[in-house]
Amino acid sequence: MKRKNQAFCHDRSFWMFVIPSLLLFGVFFLLPLGMSVWFSLTNYDGWKTMDFVGIKNYLDILTSGDFYKTLSRTIVYTVCNLPFKIAIPLLLAALVTSQSVKGTTIVRTLVYIPVLFSALVAGITINWMFGQEYGLVNFLLQKMGISPLEWSLNPVLATVVISVASNWISAGYYMLLYVGGINNISKELYEAASVDGAKKAQAFFQITLPLLMPTTFIVLLLSTVNLLKEYALVQGISLGGPGSSTTYIVQYIFDQGFNQSRYGYASAAGIVISILFIVIAMVQFKATKGGGEV
Amino acid sequence: MDGAAKRKLEVTLVTLLGMAVAFLMIFPIIWLCFSSFKPSSELFAYPLHLFPQNPDASSYAGVVEDGLFNYVKNSLFLAIVGTVITVVISAMCGYALAIYRKEITYVNKVFAVFLLGTLIPGEILTIAQFTVVSEMGLYNNIWGCILPVVTTTTGIFMYRQHYMSIPLELVESGRLDGASEFHIFRALMLPLGSSVTVTLTIFSFMWRWNDYILPLMVLSDQDNFTIQIAIKSYIGTMGVDWNSILAASILSIIPIIVIFIILQRYITGGLAASGVKG
Repeated sequence: MKRKNQAFCHDRSFWMFVIPSLLLFGVFFLLPLGMSVWFSLTNYDGWKTMDFVGIKNYLDILTSGDFYKTLSRTIVYTVCNLPFKIAIPLLLAALVTSQSVKGTTIVRTLVYIPVLFSALVAGITINWMFGQEYGLVNFLLQKMGISPLEWSLNPVLATVVISVASNWISAGYYMLLYVGGINNISKELYEAASVDGAKKAQAFFQITLPLLMPTTFIVLLLSTVNLLKEYALVQGISLGGPGSSTTYIVQYIFDQGFNQSRYGYASAAGIVISILFIVIAMVQFKATKGGGEV
Repeated sequence: MDGAAKRKLEVTLVTLLGMAVAFLMIFPIIWLCFSSFKPSSELFAYPLHLFPQNPDASSYAGVVEDGLFNYVKNSLFLAIVGTVITVVISAMCGYALAIYRKEITYVNKVFAVFLLGTLIPGEILTIAQFTVVSEMGLYNNIWGCILPVVTTTTGIFMYRQHYMSIPLELVESGRLDGASEFHIFRALMLPLGSSVTVTLTIFSFMWRWNDYILPLMVLSDQDNFTIQIAIKSYIGTMGVDWNSILAASILSIIPIIVIFIILQRYITGGLAASGVKG
């Protein structure tokens, strides 16, 4: 009897500890999640109209050229950036863990500083370097006798500027993940390799790289998610332009919802995109055995 | 060339490379900073110089006049209040999920509910979150930017992991002494989680200071803007007010860089250990 009482008592304490988080999570995550599903089945305009329209929004999305264009643009942007998101931090990590470098702490610190910035300010900072008329990059190009580039008028170049900013703000973070991975590799492996006469480059490709696969996988997943939802950065650079050539999926959802008052349609687009994110999260969950490492 | 000299050359070259890379990474900030002290006549005139030829702080005076201190005050409120709530509720929740795991059968089910939060990025739910905030009467209210974001699965997860590694006997001994469950948490266990508390405090402060999407949607009155939204307001449809935006951007990153320099070992160390993500 006493046992049972105590167990009940623990039940109550447990809920006391958990309820603040659970309540806020319920109101601001689970409820909006349910509401998004509901909105997606209505023609809600964020104001008065909210009629049930069934799967009309989903049919609209599937037949909307804009949605496909934005989604494929977002995916192209993501895929093109992934190699850099892995290679740059990996090389930085190899550099700052090298025995041949003095002052690695200062290098690490400086490389990490852009990670602290808001995406908006990071975008603005890089945008300022790539200004079309009075930007430093164009000035240097002209000094070298190359004609200045139209960073904000050319869709490809605008995407390049956004990519530079995106890599700039994330490199330090992924570098640290790689540094952790490299520090976990046994030094004896390298000693053995050097006894066998392996060059440093050989050791890097045959020991470091394969043993860093788990870290690479995490970096790949994290950067995929972050690239797919790129938004604030773009607001500091191109606002989605020129035209809509740098408008990615999150901005598309916000434009449709807040600017065009199509909450229903925007919610449906959000639900469709969520499926993509859920798949990625599932892969990550499986790979890290319970979402543990990240 | 003998081995030692060769080694020395290698160290010099690779160190130079490291310094060059670090300089390249930090250079955009240096350029931003020097530019913020240039008057318009210098910002938009060739040839460009690294150092301002006639340094002046008029851009800074301008943003202060625009109400910068008020925006900083709003950002500080968001960051400090948000962080305090995040740390308190995450510690309580993570702690309970860890220490009642033997006594209560459904603990992992509750934990699984929170893991849902990692499935879908908040950006996707912003429209519905905004509707909830408006319905609660928190439109144009800084609390409308705080309450939706204070629950973080990352924070709960960090505390849970930490308290899983602490022997349950400690809790038992507290119970035998007749302490209440909450007292055990506050007086005995919370201090044991201080490493997590420090890491989460720093990261939460940074997340909230840099928050963008929700404040942009929720805050309509200029008086209520945070620093990020104030910066954004210098980007107009007709062009960018570069003088103001450069100065405001520099001012917005100073607090974060100061915190980073003071608490660096917690940030880079805690990050590598816990794998925090935004």
